[in-house]
Amino acid sequence: MSWLTDLLTRSGDALIARFAAWARTLRFGTVTLAGILSPGLYNSATRTVVQKQIYFTAWQILFGFNLFAAVFSLILIRIATTAAQNYGLGDLALELILRILVIELLPLMTALFIALRSGAAINAEVALMNITNEIEALHSVGIDPLRLEFLPRVIGGVVSVLALTALTSLTALLIAYLELYGPQAHGFADFTWVIGQVYSPLLLFGLWLKCLLFGLAVTVIPIAAGLDSPHKLFFAPIAVLSGMVRLFFALMLIEVGSLAITYL
Amino acid sequence: MARPPLPAHLIKHLGLKVGLLVGATVFIAVAFLVYTLFARGLFEPTRTITLIADEVDNIAIGMPLNFSGFPIGEVSRVTLTEQGQGRVEIKVPTKHLRWLRGTSIFTLQKSLVGGAKIRVYSTDLKAPPLAPDATPQLHTGDIGEELPALVARAKALLDNLERLTQEGSALDQSLGHSNTVLGRMTGEYGVLEGMLGSADKAKKVIAALDQSNKLLASLNGLSLKMDRRVFGQDGVMDQTDKAMQQANAALLQTRDSLKKADAILADAKEASTDLVLLRSEIDASVNKVNGLIDEINRKWPFAREVEMKLP
Repeated sequence: MSWLTDLLTRSGDALIARFAAWARTLRFGTVTLAGILSPGLYNSATRTVVQKQIYFTAWQILFGFNLFAAVFSLILIRIATTAAQNYGLGDLALELILRILVIELLPLMTALFIALRSGAAINAEVALMNITNEIEALHSVGIDPLRLEFLPRVIGGVVSVLALTALTSLTALLIAYLELYGPQAHGFADFTWVIGQVYSPLLLFGLWLKCLLFGLAVTVIPIAAGLDSPHKLFFAPIAVLSGMVRLFFALMLIEVGSLAITYL
Repeated sequence: MARPPLPAHLIKHLGLKVGLLVGATVFIAVAFLVYTLFARGLFEPTRTITLIADEVDNIAIGMPLNFSGFPIGEVSRVTLTEQGQGRVEIKVPTKHLRWLRGTSIFTLQKSLVGGAKIRVYSTDLKAPPLAPDATPQLHTGDIGEELPALVARAKALLDNLERLTQEGSALDQSLGHSNTVLGRMTGEYGVLEGMLGSADKAKKVIAALDQSNKLLASLNGLSLKMDRRVFGQDGVMDQTDKAMQQANAALLQTRDSLKKADAILADAKEASTDLVLLRSEIDASVNKVNGLIDEINRKWPFAREVEMKLP
């Protein structure tokens, strides 16, 4: 029976370790949120770092990502419009596009893109800082790493996700209007009516909340995973791996949760 | 280590770019919120109109009210009335109220695919506007349910039509006959020929008409002459008039004569009473004469026939 006890102990330990990792991530997230909301944390140095983070995370990819999102939106809108018209449901095409593309897909895509580009980088960077004891060094010279290194990244990530989602959604709305009604004003009343039907203030609030959570997830989870890594260099890839898996899982959880709240 | 490749001061207009991005995001967020509120009709006054429907199947809150394909209102509430009918409240912005008239027809159309739609048809836009307390009927006739009956009736109708139009049918014959009649009507004597059947008969009628015309003309002359003879100067009437006057005069004279005769008769009456006396005297005289004659006869030897006449 000892093998069974061993097995149970091992799997139980692994489960506890997994839960402990999530718990640490949540704790770090709470601390970060508290930091973001405390005005005493901000000074000119933090502001410059935040600006830099926003610049590198959002501004650098603004044009390219927006172009990609526009092409993606155009294709999806064309597919939705054609399919809807083929089934004689042309009236519902716009609502379909708004609900699937603009409310669900574009925020998720933006979050995934920033997670792949910046989240992975932040994860590796923090893991290396942790392994090379840089964080302890900062502590020892009296600099709060949370304030100078982590918070700017979190704020940058959140602002980037929100900004890129807003811009790509606006582009998608414009493309949808042009695709459905052409460059004419006659469809505006219809378009406005469908917008009014789809976007209640509550849904809009939920959408922004979702984007905010996406932004927090794509930065908080990689930083927490980096901080979690043991002080051994070969653990760095493992830290990035587990951080990215956790991030993907968190993003899907937020998405599914928002869908469940909206439609159930 | 994955460090940002450039120090902050080497990025051109860092603050401006980030400010622009954040500002644009905030602007989009606020503008879109305002736009959705505008789209939901928050900034314009609305009026609630109430429709009464037999059943409110397929009617959902937020369903549009379509006019000519444009959404002009949306269902805000669906309840049940005391009479067990559906009561559908529709919010219509006041600027769209002009499309709703007292004569407007509201229908709920269910299609085989897609959701149901409430449509309003206002054929007469000059009709009086929908009264604030009016509760028009929402017609919820289900086309799908009536379709089989409709097809059956259409089939019967088509059968009738076929029977009517087939070769040798009554309609076909009638059309043939009217064709013949119309053909005749285009002939020399027109409608008359069409009615009578042939040109000869029509000719006779026309000849008869000509003759009656002539007859009428001569009758006309005759009547003129008669007029002159009867009513003209010294005509029959004048002479009759004179004759009447003369007769009148003669009658007057006759009356006078009668009066005189009356008088004579009265005299004669008196005379007749004297006459009786006279007669008796005459009788006596005659008797005496008779006696005398008898005496003479006896004395006279000649038997001679003597005759004596009395007056």
